[in-house]
Amino acid sequence: MEPPQQPPKPHFSLPVDADHKATEFRLFSLSTPHMTAFHLSWLSLFSNFFSTFSIPPLLSYIRSDLQLSSTEIGYGGIASFTGAIFSRLAMGPACDLFGPRIASSTLSLLTAPIVLSVSLIQSPLSFILVRFLIGFCLANFVANQFWMSSMFSPNVVGLANGFAAGWANVGSGATQLLMPLIVSLLTDSFQIPTSTAWRAAFVVPAVFQSLTAILVLIYGQDLPDGNYSSKKNSRKTGGSGNSLFTVLFTGLRNYRGWILGLTYGYCFGVELTTDNIIAEYFYDRFGVDVDVAGAIAASFGFANVVSRPAGGVLSDEMGRRFGMRGRLWSLWVVQTVAGLLCVLLGRVDSLWGSVVVMCCFSVFVQAASGLTFGVVPFVSKRSLGVISGMTGSGGTLGAVVTQLLLFSGSNQFSTQTGISLMGLMMIVSTLSLGLIYFPKWGGMFCGPSFEPNSQDEEDYFLLE
Amino acid sequence: MDVCGFLVVSLLLSCLVETCYGVAFSSLQSTLVVTASPTPGQVLKAGQDQITVTWSYNQTYPSGTDSTYKTMKVKLCYAPISQVDRSWRKTNDDLNKDKTCQFNIISGPYNRTSGNSSSTWTIGKDIPTATYFVRAYAYNADGVETAYGQTTNPQKTTYLFEVTGISGRHVSLDVASICFSAFSIVALFGFFFIEKRKAE
Repeated sequence: MEPPQQPPKPHFSLPVDADHKATEFRLFSLSTPHMTAFHLSWLSLFSNFFSTFSIPPLLSYIRSDLQLSSTEIGYGGIASFTGAIFSRLAMGPACDLFGPRIASSTLSLLTAPIVLSVSLIQSPLSFILVRFLIGFCLANFVANQFWMSSMFSPNVVGLANGFAAGWANVGSGATQLLMPLIVSLLTDSFQIPTSTAWRAAFVVPAVFQSLTAILVLIYGQDLPDGNYSSKKNSRKTGGSGNSLFTVLFTGLRNYRGWILGLTYGYCFGVELTTDNIIAEYFYDRFGVDVDVAGAIAASFGFANVVSRPAGGVLSDEMGRRFGMRGRLWSLWVVQTVAGLLCVLLGRVDSLWGSVVVMCCFSVFVQAASGLTFGVVPFVSKRSLGVISGMTGSGGTLGAVVTQLLLFSGSNQFSTQTGISLMGLMMIVSTLSLGLIYFPKWGGMFCGPSFEPNSQDEEDYFLLE
Repeated sequence: MDVCGFLVVSLLLSCLVETCYGVAFSSLQSTLVVTASPTPGQVLKAGQDQITVTWSYNQTYPSGTDSTYKTMKVKLCYAPISQVDRSWRKTNDDLNKDKTCQFNIISGPYNRTSGNSSSTWTIGKDIPTATYFVRAYAYNADGVETAYGQTTNPQKTTYLFEVTGISGRHVSLDVASICFSAFSIVALFGFFFIEKRKAE
């Protein structure tokens, strides 16, 4: 009898583990399928952030043309994150069912027309509605992290996730710089009146988003071995007992997921809120030009290139030296420092002082986001998608609450007081990290409750 | 060298001090009489309609008071109703921080000879939809506000008129938006169709 034919061993240019996930992360390589997936994914999410935050830098034009009040602008900001709360929760199961490639590119291609429709809006209500609908595309963050977890082995997944999320977040900075420049280009070189130029400028984020989505569809691949549609295997941990509801409830029952959702709401949520308000803040308080305000706001987002991955790297390093205690303490320290800098930002009276404090604040708040996702993978292996979704949604929920309480109307207090209060809220919410306790690894104040098994990472898979 | 440095620094500081706190609006006298052509409640179109502003010195004030006025500016100012919940148009007694009057109608030297001066201005295309009044400021030789006059009463409730701003929407832009949107949706469904065909 002839021995059964072995299927040909697939050849990958990066070293891979048993699941064919890459065990090395080479940032500047384009090797298929792993690094291609990385680059397509972060670029596509970059375009989503670019679109979502394309409106804030142009608010000084939009608010005149649409006769917006501070309250309506605030509601628009809140609306832009509200959609994302639910879409991020839904994206987890969608990725499980359809694969991150189809889920993320469908969302991008469906929201691109909404970005274009900004050119058609004429009333405050349509402004709020459009911001609400565009905000849905931030769900692609979950698809992005999911995709990286499918392509990269646990020893490098933190790094891949950190770089992917960090580089994608730069989109929120790039748009604050580019949108005013596009409008200036249209008004200066093509003599188009400002009230038409700002409308025309939205073609750029819409086309960019569509193009990246199409690239993902053409060149992307869900898994190292192929796409979901051509594979019948169930993802993550195969086997029974992993139905959608089991996974969902295991995740929702885990209190650590809720605490991380709260703290992520006060680092990433604060980052999102700041993206929404900072250009207008510099324009109104210090009287700088729209272009300059946009450039300053952009530098807030640009720090993401290094600060978020640095947070992930710091978390891994502290984890290596001090275990979970190190990861939690470093997250607490970095986020509290970010809170203090935020309080300071609201108190500084000079333009350059504010810019310097804002830059320091951006580094710390973004590193805190990276550090949070250094803890998330350890909360639950089986329900990783759900925990990621809860944390991710917590981020946008924090942004909604913060914007609603502090930046939605000019009545009670000024923007600078709001910024200081936001910093205070950050410091208080970060204290909840002290409540996190892993029986196997301990928490911030207590050691583990039983002897940790040597170096066997796989053990925690069995815990929950 | 040290003296030079000291002079530069003190010059900069003195400029800063001067610009730090502006003149208080409440300290200005309303010695100018200003009228504008729009009737109360009239709606004008930005970029099309015109406003004729007439100003003169109020003779009930002592005649030498306007000897310090060197230049003047006539401005279009937001009425209180257009300032509600809009901190970027807020009235502040410190004229350096005041954002009530953001658009210049006309500026030039102050003419001391008695009688009216007037000017006709086509409302700029960038004037947003809002309710307005007209105010004129007289400046002394240092460029600091010395007096003012406005078309409305001190509570800013009378003789207000409206301007309707230009929409900015353009048919070609609408068409382009719809075309690109259609392309995006077609690309998505086209892709699904192709994938299905490949699977079969």
